[in-house]
Amino acid sequence: MQIYLPIAEIPVNIFLILALGLLTGFLAGMFGIGGGFLATPFLIFIGVPSPVAVSTSTNQIIAASISGLLAHFKKGNVDIKMGLFLVIGGVIGSSIGVSIFSILKNAGQIDLVIAITYVLFLGSISLMMLSDSFRNFIDRKFGMDWHHHNEEAVKFQWLLKKIDNLPFKTYFSRSEVYISILVPITLSFGVGILVSLMGVGGGFLMIPAMLYILRMPSSLVVGTSLFQIVFIASNATFLQAVTGNNVDIVLGILMIISSAIGAQVGSRVAYKVDANATRTFLAVLLLLICFKMMFQLFSQPGNIYSLDILK
Amino acid sequence: MKFLKFFYTFCFLLINIEAYAGPLISGISSNEINVDTEFKGAQILLFGAKNDAGDVVITVRGPRKNFIISKKENLLGVWFNGERIKFKNSYGFYSLFSTYNDGEMIQQDLNEYELGKNNIQFEIQDNLSPSKINEFRIQLVELLEQKNLYSVSTKPIDFLDETLFKLIIDFPKNILLGTYIIEVYLINNGSVLSFQSIPVYVNQIGISAKISNFALSQSVLYGLIAVFLAIFVGCLANYLFARFIKK
Repeated sequence: MQIYLPIAEIPVNIFLILALGLLTGFLAGMFGIGGGFLATPFLIFIGVPSPVAVSTSTNQIIAASISGLLAHFKKGNVDIKMGLFLVIGGVIGSSIGVSIFSILKNAGQIDLVIAITYVLFLGSISLMMLSDSFRNFIDRKFGMDWHHHNEEAVKFQWLLKKIDNLPFKTYFSRSEVYISILVPITLSFGVGILVSLMGVGGGFLMIPAMLYILRMPSSLVVGTSLFQIVFIASNATFLQAVTGNNVDIVLGILMIISSAIGAQVGSRVAYKVDANATRTFLAVLLLLICFKMMFQLFSQPGNIYSLDILK
Repeated sequence: MKFLKFFYTFCFLLINIEAYAGPLISGISSNEINVDTEFKGAQILLFGAKNDAGDVVITVRGPRKNFIISKKENLLGVWFNGERIKFKNSYGFYSLFSTYNDGEMIQQDLNEYELGKNNIQFEIQDNLSPSKINEFRIQLVELLEQKNLYSVSTKPIDFLDETLFKLIIDFPKNILLGTYIIEVYLINNGSVLSFQSIPVYVNQIGISAKISNFALSQSVLYGLIAVFLAIFVGCLANYLFARFIKK
């Protein structure tokens, strides 16, 4: 069954979109990483213009994050004070991100920048995950220990010392950390820019940063990260709709509903399967998407001239 | 069928009014094209009569739009949009028909009345070399031809007898919205004996048109709806799964 997307301006098969939503939601629910990393490239591959793919994916992230956030709220796993400082940086970052986005779009370079950022991030994330899985596999098989956690901790020491010397320190009672407010603001500022440019939640960067830089307890990290993502994604979606007319509400609703169902199923299945095997599978999937995007960057266009008809 | 019926009626009328008519008279089967998401293109039938010697030239010109032509360049293997030229206020549709047999003759006459491929006007804002503008201009016309929006080669006009002629104008499925002008000229020895201009309105209809218009005209409200709809569906999904499906 074909449905016409009013903003993307292409007809798509409604079941294909629902299947994409289910799949990205399922994988997101299973691995806890945002579906944006999968949804945006998939939408681009089926012919949705990349600005619409990114912005609509941001719209979907609001729904996915709020659903997760409510569950964490009930359990009291959100540091609201820390969350609010993250929101300040994130809202500024995502606003600047959307401005950069629209400048790049007007200059005709947005497709290129989206593709390059995806290739870089997907490539490095999938390779890191693969090497992690490989280490785990070797650990279990031969009982070897790679001591990599200690090494990383040593590398971070100088950075953490510098952070501890920053001004405007305040005590976050829920997380029991005493840290400068500049740290969460700066972190989420950077993540905010990335959210607007890539249509991802940014949890893959935010969660490690909260653990190792903000040194929050791991029980609060996911809930607090979801808390700030809801605000950043809402701000980015709103600004994308206003400045670029990039949000396709029809596509958004289809993706939101199907990915919500997929996520619920995925989070239930996650307990029942081998974590290492599924993580390897995700890493390979991300790597394949990365290769496909790279191929698009490097393959010779049929016609070196292209036409845009402005509205 | 509709065309034929309309056509016969028109011919009948023509025979009756011929005595009063000027050197050229013409009409079209419809003034309106409604584009919805199922739109597969449309045809408009034009017919007319000329009561004087001379050649008939018919142009169809679409709404003025701004175009950007980008030229891809390669850096370290990566293809990106290099040079870009913006053409402002140019026709979004162009089609030309005539009864001329002599190529040179038509070119002369067309130039005089600013008709034909070489006379399509493009506004360019930047200060660029003429050769560069020409390069991009050729590409613009070519790409618009590939999209079936331009057909710059002259197509013949079908004559039923000495005076009556008919023509089918094809509007492709990717047609741009706006007002189209069909112009009919009767040209003899380089001077226009008669001229007629007929508008055609291309409108967008249907729910998807309403959504895209709303997104453009009320973008703040549209953005807020997108955000709150997502929040609502997220909450609803959480509630439904917690309520009806246990872990």
